[in-house]
Parts: sequence; structure tokens; C-alpha cells
Amino acid sequence: MKRFTKAALPFALVAALALAGCSTDTSDTAKAEGSSDELSGTITLYTSEPQEKIDEIIADFTSEHPEVTVETFRAGTGELTARIATEQETGELQADVLLAADVPTFEAYVEDDVLAPLEVDNAAELEDTYVDPEGYWVGTRVIPTVLAYNTNIMDTPPESWQEMTDEEYEGQISMPNPDVSGAAAFNAAVWLDDEKLGEPWLEDLLANNPTILESNGPVGQAVADGTTGVGVVVDYLARELNEQGSPIDLVYPSDGAPYVSQPAGIFSDAENPEVANAFIDYLISEEGQTTAVEQSYLPVRSDVGVPEGAPSMDELELLDPDLDHIADIQSESVDHFNSLLD
Amino acid sequence: MIDTKPTPGEVASETSNPVIPASVSPTPTPRWHQRINGTDGLRLLRVAVLLGLAGVVVVPIVATIVMGSRADFAVLLTDPAVYDATRNSLVSSAVSALAATALGVGFAVVFERFRFSGQNLLRWFLLIPFLIPPFIGAMSWMALLGVNGPANQLLSQLGIDHTFSIFGGTGVIFLLTIHSYPIAYLVISAAIRQVPGNLEEAARMSGASNWTVLRTVTLPLIRPGMTAAFMLTFVSSLSDFGIPALIGLPERYTTLTTLVYRQLSSPSSSNPLPEVSAISMVLMAVALVALLAQRGRAQSTQIIASASTRHYQTGVLGFVAMVLTWLWVIVVSILPLLALASQALLPAPGVPLTLENITLDNIITAVTSPTAVTGIQNSVMLAAGAAVITAILGLGVALLLARSNHPVNPSIDVVANLPQALPGLVIAVGWLLVAPALGIFNTPVVILVAYVMAFLALVVQQLRGPLASVSATLEEAATISGASRLRAIIGVTGRIVAPVVVTGAVMVFLTAVRELTISILLVAPGSQTLGVAIFNLQQAGNYNAASALALIVAIVGIAGLSITAAVTSKRQGK
Repeated sequence: MKRFTKAALPFALVAALALAGCSTDTSDTAKAEGSSDELSGTITLYTSEPQEKIDEIIADFTSEHPEVTVETFRAGTGELTARIATEQETGELQADVLLAADVPTFEAYVEDDVLAPLEVDNAAELEDTYVDPEGYWVGTRVIPTVLAYNTNIMDTPPESWQEMTDEEYEGQISMPNPDVSGAAAFNAAVWLDDEKLGEPWLEDLLANNPTILESNGPVGQAVADGTTGVGVVVDYLARELNEQGSPIDLVYPSDGAPYVSQPAGIFSDAENPEVANAFIDYLISEEGQTTAVEQSYLPVRSDVGVPEGAPSMDELELLDPDLDHIADIQSESVDHFNSLLD
Repeated sequence: MIDTKPTPGEVASETSNPVIPASVSPTPTPRWHQRINGTDGLRLLRVAVLLGLAGVVVVPIVATIVMGSRADFAVLLTDPAVYDATRNSLVSSAVSALAATALGVGFAVVFERFRFSGQNLLRWFLLIPFLIPPFIGAMSWMALLGVNGPANQLLSQLGIDHTFSIFGGTGVIFLLTIHSYPIAYLVISAAIRQVPGNLEEAARMSGASNWTVLRTVTLPLIRPGMTAAFMLTFVSSLSDFGIPALIGLPERYTTLTTLVYRQLSSPSSSNPLPEVSAISMVLMAVALVALLAQRGRAQSTQIIASASTRHYQTGVLGFVAMVLTWLWVIVVSILPLLALASQALLPAPGVPLTLENITLDNIITAVTSPTAVTGIQNSVMLAAGAAVITAILGLGVALLLARSNHPVNPSIDVVANLPQALPGLVIAVGWLLVAPALGIFNTPVVILVAYVMAFLALVVQQLRGPLASVSATLEEAATISGASRLRAIIGVTGRIVAPVVVTGAVMVFLTAVRELTISILLVAPGSQTLGVAIFNLQQAGNYNAASALALIVAIVGIAGLSITAAVTSKRQGK
């Protein structure tokens, strides 16, 4: 017995080594095969998406690319752009991908020459309005600002922006702060630029003493819990609260809803442009857009339907101003808006 | 510290009579010091502590002053936004500190001069607002006093046509008061316990009524305690961020802390750092004045340090006091937390609170969502790191102060305790300035060092009493047996005070783990703390999810701090 053991030992060792060799071999080849099309590495995403939504999107994306990590920093658009400016000044920019706000914000970055051209296949599937002709950004969801109302308080909801200046809504309106919310800043410019609405309308609206809340989220809350009867708020929030059982419903204003397309872009010093491009490509892929619809967003693709209860995309009355012009007037429009409040 | 120093008289008597061995005295004597200063067994420790303090405390303060002096003060002083914010900060802090001090006096009298059953439980309820972070308190009150919240619904059911709103300046002052009266109560009840009972007794025997005794004997004697309580609560209200951010901003009521936050996080302002540093300097100056005023007062009060006989009164007055105090804690400590809990248990705003609507979804999401998990991980790691570092550095500081008499000691004392008087905002801005040069900008490290700076004094102050009471003769015995001075201190005294160091570290941990003001200004991708996660959820309008996470933090915090306090008082009781 003892002899056998001794004799067997070298064989056992050889066998063990061979096995070990085999196993490392297989794992190596697996890796080698994977690395040809499997992405890996970390990207940092700055976004104004609601936290739980972006968490879900990233979970979906990384389940397809398990070697990828997406670090997120979520804040209002205002805070994001402030942070990007500080980082550009004091140190290195942390963000690789920006997913936020509106086209004018991105056009400003294009002008500053800090974005890299995108390489995303799915851009071809989208409507032209949602894709930058120069290829620096691509819209990811259509977010119109609408009229939301509390169904316990309002019997007949307002149907248009024009109606919101009626006296009956005095003290009943809440809306987001354009200093914090990118969509609100964009809206201020679009309203002021609109031929039918313009400055007289905005003056009348603000004369109705709206409550200016920090961002769209609190506006949705205020309408849902009845703090204000009507809110000027992005459509998906009202739709979601309605689904969860809050006494809230929404109206797409008959005189046209301003909308942002929550564009995505990549900063030119991104360390991992391959992963960054793959992430943005995923956002506008059929799968990514299906998730967007499930998250109550109107999609930028026509092949994924719309959220339950939402009008179809061609029924929507959207305001489509010249975005270059909006980019020019956005910051003065925000100042104008704020000065009317004082 | 002052009473451990030998008086000049002692020095003279000792030099004239060298026969008396130095080791008889439990406190270090001049001969000891000569020896320390000669070979200095503590030099290594002293150098390490000085370097640590310079890095963690002095550098960010100096950076703030340098950057702040670059600001255009003419522009700053005439900026109406700065003027409004300064006025709002000073008014809200002063008014709330006054109210908190008044409440502190009232409750101290109730608890120190009346005896009734359930006193300890009632005192614990009274202290609850102190055990939960102010921003979570603000969230609870928002839930309670929402326009369609439970309080206003009750009012309208009673047919009262008035809607309470928590938002705005009055709400800020009210909530600052709620969150600072427990500190005032603790300080004042300590003072009232020092009032000699026989003085009150004498007044009463001379025919004075209870009210006259209170007014003419007790209150004048605790006036220094009242001043200390006022200053402490004034500074802590001045530095609060959560309450003015959640309660003040929706009504455009800006304070200095929210102004700085706005300037750092809004895209319109060009390089905001000089202006922000200048505001930070102003806050630093106000805090320093308050600190000095309080220290000066505290020293002049030491005459009252005689034993007191507690004088109990029962009867109708005691019963009324008890009932009023219970009503107070129900409204202030219990109802807001219940409102927070009900918000945490409802799926969406505006859904009526009925049994079938209640769901645990928010709570489950609160502890499983990636944001919450990352926040909890970050906060636990950072708070644990801060606890360990403050424990080591704090022990070093306390040992040097208690066991040596080096000329640099007073500076160590001031520098180690100074940050506690500084608003968290000042600390955060200091690190915001220093971080890029150190290469720690946008990393969790910068939050860690800021926590260390902010909470170091917690450990140092915990250690002060116990270290003074441990006799130095034991250490001396160890030195005589051949141990080095440092080794003797660590081996002998260090071992005895170790439990106190642990308590201090636990307090730092429990304070840092739910910190908001510093974290929100220094947060970076990947380093969002728990407090920031909750604040962001609330700001984004997801009240139900935010409430769920806040409720957990509140419960864990109340439990953790109560247990720590119980353990500490048990140990002190021995």
C-alpha cells in the first residue's frame, strides 16, 4: 500500500499539474475569445435621469456586458453643468458620458470643442430631429412639458398654456425652477420665443403667483398630494404617479408642448470611448428604448410603441423652435424669468 | 487644564524644599517637566500630533483665509443676495437659540425640580430630536405639515379654516429650535444641578414662594449655563444646512449655508470659490466670537462648583408639568416620526392612508436599490475611517495635554477643539480649496479628512476628564521599571482609557454616518454618502422612497446613540 502511494505520487502530481494547466488554458482562451467583442472597463456617467431609472438602465446594460462598470453621478442639469465647469477649471473632468437636458446645453459643449463625435450604429434608426447632424449628440427620449392636475381638486383641467393665465388658477400652479432644472430653463426660452405665447403670456402666468419648486419631481409631488391643483411638469412623472395610484392626470397643451430630448454625448478626453459609445448605442437601441417606454418615457424610435395612456407620437402637438436660436437666448431667458418673479 | 498646572507658589516651595519627591503629586510637577523637556520622551508623539493637526485642521483654514481675502469685498457686501442670506442666518440662528434656551430652562426645571413617574422615559423622548439628523427632522415635519398632510386634514375636519405651512422663514426658525433645544436642556440641567440646594432652601424658609425662589435664586445662578446653551445652539443653527435647504429654499428664504450650496451648484456664477471662501470666513469669525464668549463665561462660573441637594416638589404643579411635557414630546418627537413612517409606507403621494394601501415596497427598495447600497457602503466606510483616525489622533492630543506641560500645548488645545465650533460648511469649503493641490479632489478621501477635522474634538473632549483622573504615578512606576515615557503612557494609561476612546470613536461613527452638510459639498461620482442619497431623493421629489431610507436612518441612529449613551453613563456610574 505504502509503495503504491509512493509510486503513484509522481503520476498524481503530473495529473494535477496537467489539470491545472488545462484549466488555466481554457480560461485564457475564453478571455482571449471574449476580449475581441466583449467590452470591459469603467465609465463615469453624469446624468439628470431619476436615480431609480438610471440604476435600472445600467443594470440592463451591464448584464449584457458584465466586465463593464458604469459609475453614475446624478444631479439636476444646473448642478451637472456647474460641476463640469469646476472640474474643467480645477482638475480633470470626471465625466465620460453626459446624459441630460436639452440640445442647447449640448450645442454649447460642441462649440467649446469638448465633445467627441459619436460612433453609434442605432443613430440611423432615429428620426432626424433627435440626431445631431454633426454627430456629437443623440436624443434618447422625448420629454414634453405638460399640464398635470389633481383629479380631486380640479373638475375641469386647463387645456392650454393660454388658459393657465386665467384668474381661477391664481395660487394653484406649481412649476420647476429654471436655475435647477434643465427642462425648465429650456422651456423658459421656448415660451419667450413663441409667437403666440411670448413675454406677455409669461408675465400673465407669473402674475398668477405660481409656486416655484426646485425641480420637476417636487412639482409632481405637489400636484399629486394636492398642495397645488395644477403643475407645469414633464409628462412621464405625471404618468408614473397616476399609475402608482396618485390622484393626478395630465393634459398635453393644445397650443403645443415644449420638449427636450435628453441627449447623450461623450467628452473628448473620455478614457474608454469604446464603452461610452456602446452605452449610448444601447440607450437608443430597440431594447434600450423598450426600457424607456416601460419607464413611462416617450421614445425616440418609432418601433417600440408608446407608454400606456400616452398619445401616439404623430398625434402629439409639440413646439419645434429653431434650437440654435434657443441656445442663444436660453441664459437670458432664465434671467428674464427670474426677474419677473422678483 | 488650568487646574492641573502647578501654581507659581508650588514651584517656589518645591525648589526651596527639594526633599519632597516629585512623584507624590498625581499631577505632573516641574521636575517632571524638566526631565521631559530635556530628553522629552514625548517628542515623537508631539511631532506626530502637530503634523496631524496641521494637515487636518490648519491647512484648510489657512487656504480659506487666503482665498477669501481675494474676494472683492466691496461687491460682496453690496450684493443683496449675500445681505439677505446673512440677515436670515443671523436672525434664524439667534431667534431659534433664544427659544431653545428658554425651552431648555423650562425642561431643566421640570426634570431637576419635580419628581414624577416615567421621568427617564420622558427625558429620552425629549432628547429624540437631538438623536436624528436635522434634515431628516425637516423631512418628517414636511410629511406632518404638508398642505394636505395629516395635521391640516385634522384642522379642516375640525372645521378650522387655516392651513399650516412649514415652508419659509418661520418654519426654519421653528425647526432649528426643535433640533437645538435638547442641547440647551442638557447644558442647563447640568448647570442647575450645580446650584446649591441650601440657597434655595434658605430663600424658601424666609418665606419666598417657589416662583420667587426660581426667579431670584436659581435663574441668576444658572445664567452662565444659559449663555453657554445660547452660544452652542446659535453656532449649531448657524451651520445647519438640511433645515434651511428643505424648508427655506422653496419659499426663497436663503441662509448663508444654502447660498454657498447654490453658488457651488448653479451654472450661472463664474468661479465662485473666492466669494464662497469669503462667506466662509464670515461664518468662521462669527463662530469664533461665539466660542470665545462662551469660554470666557464658562471660566467665570466655576465658583458654583459646590454640592447640591436636589429639591423635589410634587403635587398639582408637578402633575401639570408632567402632562405638558408629555404633550410636548408627543407633538415634537413622536408625531413627525409617525408622519415620516406613514409616508414611507405609502406607494405614492396623495394615496390615502388605509390598511390596504400600506406597502413595504419603499422600505425594501430603500435598502436594496444600488443608490442606497452604495450610499450605505460609502457612509459606513467613511465614518469607520473617520472614527479610527479621530480615535488615534484624539488620543494623542489628549495625552499630550494631560501628561505634559509643553509651551505648544495651548495651541494644540485650541487647534484640536476649534473645528467643532466651525460650521460644517466652513470645513467643506476649506477642503474644497485644498483638495485639488493634494490630488484628492473628487475622491472619497477628501470627505474622510473633512470628517476627521469636524469630529476630532468629540474624542478629545471625551478623554479629557478620564485622563485627568488617571494618576500619573502608575506611568512613572513603569518608567522607573525601564519603559520609555511614551511606552509607559500607552501601556499604562492608554489601556485604562481605551474604553473611553472606543466610546468616542463610536460617537464619531454615529455622527459621521448620517452627515449631510460636508458630504453634499464634497460629494463626487462614486462617493455619494447616505445623507446625500436621501437628500437627493427628497430633492428629486421621490418623497416616499426618501422617507423610507430616512426612517431607517432615524431608527438606527436613535437606537445606536441611546445605547452608547447608556453604556457611557453606566461606566461613569461605576
